[in-house]
Amino acid sequence: MNRSLLIKNGLIIDPSEDRESQADILVKDGDVVMIAPHLEPEDGQTVLDGSGLWVAPGFVDIHTHLREIGQADREDIGTGSLAAAAGGYTCVVTMANTEPPIDNAAILSVLLSKIEEKAHIEVLPIACVTKGMEGNELVNMVELSGMGVVAFSDDGLPVSNLAVLRRALEYAKVADRVIISHPEDRDLSAGGAVHEGLTATSLGLPGIPGASEAAAIAREIEVVRQTNGRLHFGHVSLAASVELIRTAKAAGLPVTADATPHHICLTVDDINGFDTAYKMNPPLRTQADRAALIEGLKDGTIDAIATDHAPHTALDKQKPFDQAPFGIIGLETAFPIALERLTNGAGLSKLSLIALFTTKPAAVLDLPQPGIRAGQPANLVLLDPAHSWIYDTAKGFSRSRNSPFNGQRLTGKVLLTFYRGNIAYKDEELIQSRHKSSVLKG
Amino acid sequence: MNLQIRDDMPDLSMSTPLSLDALSSNLMLDTPGVDLWRARRHLLDTKDLTKVEVECALRFAAVCKKLCQLEIAPLPVLNSKVVANIFYENSTRTRSSFELAARRLGATVLNLDVQSSSVAKGETLLDTAQTLIAMGVHAIVQRHASSGSAHRLSEAFHDKVHVLNAGDGWNAHPTQGLLDLFTMLEVMPDLCGAKVAIVGDISHSRVARSNIWLLKLFGAHIHLAGPPTLMPPEISKLGVTVHNQLEPAIEDADFVIALRIQLERQKKGEIPSLSEYKKLYRLDHHRLKLAKPTARVLHPGPVNRGVELTDHLADDPELSLIRTQVANGVAVRMAVLYLLLASKEAKS
Ligand SMILES: [Zn+2]
Repeated sequence: MNRSLLIKNGLIIDPSEDRESQADILVKDGDVVMIAPHLEPEDGQTVLDGSGLWVAPGFVDIHTHLREIGQADREDIGTGSLAAAAGGYTCVVTMANTEPPIDNAAILSVLLSKIEEKAHIEVLPIACVTKGMEGNELVNMVELSGMGVVAFSDDGLPVSNLAVLRRALEYAKVADRVIISHPEDRDLSAGGAVHEGLTATSLGLPGIPGASEAAAIAREIEVVRQTNGRLHFGHVSLAASVELIRTAKAAGLPVTADATPHHICLTVDDINGFDTAYKMNPPLRTQADRAALIEGLKDGTIDAIATDHAPHTALDKQKPFDQAPFGIIGLETAFPIALERLTNGAGLSKLSLIALFTTKPAAVLDLPQPGIRAGQPANLVLLDPAHSWIYDTAKGFSRSRNSPFNGQRLTGKVLLTFYRGNIAYKDEELIQSRHKSSVLKG
Repeated sequence: MNLQIRDDMPDLSMSTPLSLDALSSNLMLDTPGVDLWRARRHLLDTKDLTKVEVECALRFAAVCKKLCQLEIAPLPVLNSKVVANIFYENSTRTRSSFELAARRLGATVLNLDVQSSSVAKGETLLDTAQTLIAMGVHAIVQRHASSGSAHRLSEAFHDKVHVLNAGDGWNAHPTQGLLDLFTMLEVMPDLCGAKVAIVGDISHSRVARSNIWLLKLFGAHIHLAGPPTLMPPEISKLGVTVHNQLEPAIEDADFVIALRIQLERQKKGEIPSLSEYKKLYRLDHHRLKLAKPTARVLHPGPVNRGVELTDHLADDPELSLIRTQVANGVAVRMAVLYLLLASKEAKS
């Protein structure tokens, strides 16, 4: 069998090479072999016509909850990585707040074997900062890093004790790893369900004040100033947070940040009554916050888009709003939402948009730079930026369905995701319809 | 609106005795809004009620009240219906009021003792409702600590059961709102431009919210007074005036609604102490002099005597409407049960 594939006429968008140009890509035995303006197909070669499509490096998500180990009713490595591939991702980093949490070598080995067994794309583990996520004792950072842990985070919970955070930032230097902060003051946010303000007031729901995030970021920035340790702020949601991070970066502090697709797309005004598909932490904020996040992504204050993909069962999400768990799934909808809000809506260039999904998140965690280069594994995504479709969670790949975008029309669709040259995801229907107009052959 | 049973309503005039089928008479069923109630399946909130629906319900409540006073009950209008009361939070008075209302309409009433049922063992509220529906219950009257829990039930079983919200978290207590409005309208038939003060813990009050939506509908000016720690953020955007002091709120008020304050507010650090609360917000005869001479006081009950208002004021027949509220509660709940459960079948 000829294991070679020729992708013709696609618009290659590769931030690692600063390339945005139409070219052909030859893939052989899992690797990119050649990129040239015009390549002739050989006999028996699979040829994909990429006319009108974007060809980008496979996406990287540095914040997902694949729920392995112990929460298979919500998601596992198999379903989660398939959902990721359907979203154009070839690498996702999975959070450690599982049951039990990933806080020691034994449990990490179990997770690594599950990844080995079930992952459709690259899945990299995060381990907890503290044992049992209890916020007291540090995990064996060096040992766990040696086994493949790419970052440390108690995500789901903040490391509230700043003395512990300080030690973690200092010690993480030996392991050469980043700490990912879940910035939340748990006293200020206690009991809250939605952003504090008119929506909360009018629905009779307890509010989460903006100060619970911004105050945590302000405190943690001072610990970074003290230690010069690498700290990444996950799921930043407020204008005040963006401003704090902007100032910290200007002062040369080693902080980075990400924002989720839902926080750049929705606001607290979009909350649909008591629909728990709109319940996430941090909560949806105001229009001004949303605008500040987009500004932060454009000027580089916020480094990356990360999904915070958080699957929950229908049973859990059926609970009354205040009792239902926080979180929504997001892997399959991240790209179209960002495309609409950042590029079509806010004028961000195609290269910058793709960078937010590839090179920039990878840089946050010091992962190898994704790119389309000869001699590199063919981790690629083919995107149709104009295809309009309706997202239906029932047809999705995640085991869970908790998305506020269910039933919504989105523009921009992943057509094919290649992981190491193999098809990790294929939108059969879209390919068929393109085939009918004889665009695809081979 | 005038809630008096007028003489020009022949069927209902005092000269012609009210009869068992008064509610189902053509005269009543021609009341504007009956068609809207026929189309409605649940009563979840006062937010989504139109003025016509509210006036219609209160008109029926006026007749129910008269029927009760004349001891013409039970009416045989809900004979085939089963109404279940599920109270996840204790409230003897609201539950009793709903129970009495349903019995006076001839319904069979099922009181679910939540403490002893499987709910305590982790059964969800949807499971519980499902079981009751399978038993043939037609309406569920639910009280639950979570905002939106009645909505959740109505979404899950929209066509299968009527849901009456008897209080969900801090969100809504629609029958309380309706009975408070009824009580005020009995005293003052036109609330347009009237000043109504609501005093106390607004944040955690479903009564305050249900009252605000209704009073706005009837054109009243709403003034809220309470500690800033118990005032919901941005509530002034609902078109109400917010005060941290009692005095400007009750000055020239036509009605003052005092809300119940829970002792746990002190434990949670939301107020320093009940004694300080009393100093600032407790209603008494002296403070009430700031209000209109005709002003009346309401309280959803149960009253913490001496905390929200003085004993003396609570029991003052001239100023306090608290007992009237309780009596009106049964009438309003009868009206709502009738409109949701029986008006669909009654001849029109
Ligand atoms: Zn988090």
